[in-house]
Amino acid sequence: MYQSAHFNQYNAISGVWDEMYDANANIRDHYRKVIDYLAKESPDDLNKKEDLARRLFMSQGITFTVYNSGEGIEKIFPFDIIPRIITGDEWAFVEKGIKQRLTALNLFLKDVYHNQFIIKDGVVPIDVIYSCPHFLREMYKLDVPYDIYVHIAGIDLIRDEQGTFYVLEDNLRTPSGVSYMLENREITKRLFPDLLPTCNVRSVTEYPTILYKNLQSLSPRQNSNPTIVLLSPGIYNSAYFEHTTLARLMGVELVEGRDLVVHNHKVFMKTTTGLQQVDVIYRRVDDDFLDPLVFNPSSILGVAGIMSAYRKGNVAIVNAIGNGVADDKAIYSYVPDMIKYYLNEEPILKNVPTHQLRHPDELAYVFQNINKMVVKKTNESGGYGMLMGHAASEQEIEDYKKEILKDPRNFIAQPTISLSAAPCYIQGTLQPRRIDLRPYALCGPDGIEIVPGGLTRVALKEGSLVVNSSQGGGSKDTWVLA
Amino acid sequence: MPEFKIQHVTRYTYDSLVRDSANQITLFPIVDIYQDVLKHDLHITGNPLVDTHIDYYGNEVGNFTYVERHKELVISSEVLVNTHHKPLPTDEAPAEQQWQALAALQYIVPYIDFLKQEYFEGIDELRTIVEAERQSGDTPYQTALQFCEYVYKNFEYIKGVTTVETKLDEIWKLKAGVCQDFAHILMEMLRLLGIPARYVSGYICPNRGGMRGDGATHAWAEAYIPDYGWLGIDPTNNCIANETHVRLAVGRNFSDCSPVKGIYKGLSGHKLEVGVAVEYKDGKTTGKPEKISPAFPASGSLAATFTQNSYQQYKQNLLEQQQAAQQQ
Repeated sequence: MYQSAHFNQYNAISGVWDEMYDANANIRDHYRKVIDYLAKESPDDLNKKEDLARRLFMSQGITFTVYNSGEGIEKIFPFDIIPRIITGDEWAFVEKGIKQRLTALNLFLKDVYHNQFIIKDGVVPIDVIYSCPHFLREMYKLDVPYDIYVHIAGIDLIRDEQGTFYVLEDNLRTPSGVSYMLENREITKRLFPDLLPTCNVRSVTEYPTILYKNLQSLSPRQNSNPTIVLLSPGIYNSAYFEHTTLARLMGVELVEGRDLVVHNHKVFMKTTTGLQQVDVIYRRVDDDFLDPLVFNPSSILGVAGIMSAYRKGNVAIVNAIGNGVADDKAIYSYVPDMIKYYLNEEPILKNVPTHQLRHPDELAYVFQNINKMVVKKTNESGGYGMLMGHAASEQEIEDYKKEILKDPRNFIAQPTISLSAAPCYIQGTLQPRRIDLRPYALCGPDGIEIVPGGLTRVALKEGSLVVNSSQGGGSKDTWVLA
Repeated sequence: MPEFKIQHVTRYTYDSLVRDSANQITLFPIVDIYQDVLKHDLHITGNPLVDTHIDYYGNEVGNFTYVERHKELVISSEVLVNTHHKPLPTDEAPAEQQWQALAALQYIVPYIDFLKQEYFEGIDELRTIVEAERQSGDTPYQTALQFCEYVYKNFEYIKGVTTVETKLDEIWKLKAGVCQDFAHILMEMLRLLGIPARYVSGYICPNRGGMRGDGATHAWAEAYIPDYGWLGIDPTNNCIANETHVRLAVGRNFSDCSPVKGIYKGLSGHKLEVGVAVEYKDGKTTGKPEKISPAFPASGSLAATFTQNSYQQYKQNLLEQQQAAQQQ
């Protein structure tokens, strides 16, 4: 056992999978080197490292934005200095599972916007698709380069009491957070320079290079140096820091809608030397705001006419438009069926059991057992608009039920999953906190690549199960061992 | 076999120079066995390159941009169309069998889209009316005609009280409107009973008949009748839409079929004039460009200073809200 004061107080939460301790309270092998190292450090040294991390985040402006908090909106993303460690075997499993899932989801998108075999065969109910606000009829029969819809995916994974991985949600529109994966690693290099090589931690720094390579390959013009831009909604967006970081790391232009114009069904960027044709747009603006001519006419973030350039194949847009029909939470339940249907394979990664509240019997069941449920809106992400049954007050539950009854289609419920816990350095001691994992998968003409790592989010409040940054969550560096 | 020469002019005029205008036009008459297009001339200010595609509903849609600064944008579409009389439903199958045939379409593409009811405050009231108006034993065809007459008799045809953006709630309160409002209410009634209903935009060419909607773009509804197909019904004129009605597009609602829509960058408001003139084979012409009140009042006083600029604040808030709303 370790004698240093900050380690012997660690009490794993009973009935929860602990990433560091096994069932007999022994430290798992893959955490041993790190814990050995940390045990030698005095609390004072660790406090200094923690303080250094905080200052680095602040001086580099690594921030995100919290809405509805009423305070200053820009915040530092809290960072925990203890890495989350994943073994090579665990990673191989996760990687295989995500590749399989993403392949099926891509085929699903191609299918719903073309032949609709899966609807005709009754595998996914037609009303779930046709009532989804993100099913865009404008995408029907529109061909996208290489049939790739999901170029970038952030699939959220959690682990239950047995350590089994589950997919919590598929983020296939404009998943964010990858810049924190990159920055967290940079910070760890500063804090523990010698630990990464000794522990054989695999590198994540290739991410921007792979993304750039994929974007380049989508260029509709036969041009060795295509113009690629990152289209950001602007400085008020919660992920603006990420937009600037990715644009800088890839060496592409960071633009807003007002910097672009469509002329003769081609997209141009306004530069000091005149108009320059744009070939590929990595957009971080939602579908509805992308083209005020076709979608939301009040949008001031988009580019009028861009849909016609896209339709003609004169510009590539990443991710494709209309992906929301595949990551809608009401569609989520059918992803395992999609895997069987399109790939003829058994799903590798499990789904969390999900109740569709549009079915009256499931609605009744969920209302009876609401204390054991997490209820979510099908079209929201980021932890907004959800109800954690076990933690909500009577009044909150009643209000939420009324909200559900207005349009049950918009809600799903899942049993509360007891997320796995990992050690965090909190006030001078190691304490278990709940975590999830969002690896980032990149899909290009050469296939799907996933950098070994991802964003591990932590519910920093003791006892909390909500890891979203908007709800008081933080993050950790995520190590995948070779 | 009537032949019509239809001239449809849309003119936007701006108080000051605007630029980066992007437009979508749905001005290409549907071509099928009941309608041929003999000639179509399209003239647009600046001669932009118009790209056309077929949309989800099968309509031909054109897109163009006009980037240079301009104070006027005119879209002039001149079509020479032939229409043919479509025989009416024989309506021989027993009513019950027909209703069952419709019920089977509920979860079938494309009918699912044309059965979706739009929620509005008066829906319960309308449901009561629908139940009261429908005669038991009536076929879907008879019911559709019945409802068409109901809308015609109970809604007043008044120009200018509604716009293309008026929602069902308001039409319901006003009990008045123009063709698209009449079509909107009729579609909702049909859908409440499970009859697929779609919106049609086009032109009405009554020659000497004199019908509502003459001299402008017109709109009506189509109901899906078993063993027959889509039947055009015009609640504004309480008639079957047949060879006097030239179809441009079909869709779930107005916004799927909007004949001309556009976005531009500029400080000034715009004035919109739309005119439709129809020339008949016998030499008669009806309709002339008609002025429509501006959608946005023109504004623009310069060099004033304000202690509070709520508009700028509003724009800033809007920008922040929209930027903040994008996330996953």
